[in-house]
Amino acid sequence: MSAIEVGTQLEPVTQPSNLTASVMYAGASGDFNSLHYDQDFAGQVSPTGGIIAHGMYSMGLASRALTAFAGGPENVLEVAVRFTRPWPLGTSSTFGGEVTEVEDGVATVKLWGDNEDGTRILRGTGRIKL
Amino acid sequence: MALNQDKVGETYPSYTYEVTRAKIHEYAVALGESDPRYLSDGDDCVAPPTFAACFTVIPGGAALFADPDLGTHPALVHGSQRYVYGDRALRPGDHLDCTPRIADISIRGSNEMLTVEVECRFQDTGELAVTSEGVIVFLGSAPQTEEGAA
Repeated sequence: MSAIEVGTQLEPVTQPSNLTASVMYAGASGDFNSLHYDQDFAGQVSPTGGIIAHGMYSMGLASRALTAFAGGPENVLEVAVRFTRPWPLGTSSTFGGEVTEVEDGVATVKLWGDNEDGTRILRGTGRIKL
Repeated sequence: MALNQDKVGETYPSYTYEVTRAKIHEYAVALGESDPRYLSDGDDCVAPPTFAACFTVIPGGAALFADPDLGTHPALVHGSQRYVYGDRALRPGDHLDCTPRIADISIRGSNEMLTVEVECRFQDTGELAVTSEGVIVFLGSAPQTEEGAA
């Protein structure tokens, strides 16, 4: 890894959230909250009135961008995110980041996730070994 | 009903988790991952960092939600999540001991923020595999002010 300095951008990851993706993430993670695949249930409790993606799905995608940048999971020291807005099913979101500090062989990376409608659904920070 | 503040600092019984190749594959496919090691049948197979979700989010909260003295309720959202990793990535065959603890309960407006920490250690060496820190936001259950409760 060369030329990683403050301001270096991650290669962004864009991924759709649809019913198939949501059911796959539910099965993979073991989080079967009906909010993420059942419209009748989501209609009663969802902040948007509709099905929303797992927050952890969005974190997983932000982490995917970070981990690819880091050169693998063994170089990821920390990932931390806040779920700032819900991600409605049927839309895509893009995850990226920017190096904000490089010190003692460790880069700190600001992470973000933006829905296609411009809403910022995730903010976070990662730390990776260089 | 508000969460019980006396529970801050309480540790719940440890549970074990076995990392398997099939689960790593399944998790990587669900995220559209392309690193071939996540899908490998060989010794180079490793788990992506947020694979930790599989053994910290739902299993880590299970004991808390089963605790009648804590006062959890179903109107909640996942507010934030943090993972801090040990010296190596997880691999198939790793056995982990995972210990949940209530790190904090705080109030923000009408909501309560419960911070659950789950410390996960390799069973064979005792070394840290990953620490999870998740904030669950319980909606609308913050205790009323004295004025409001009167």
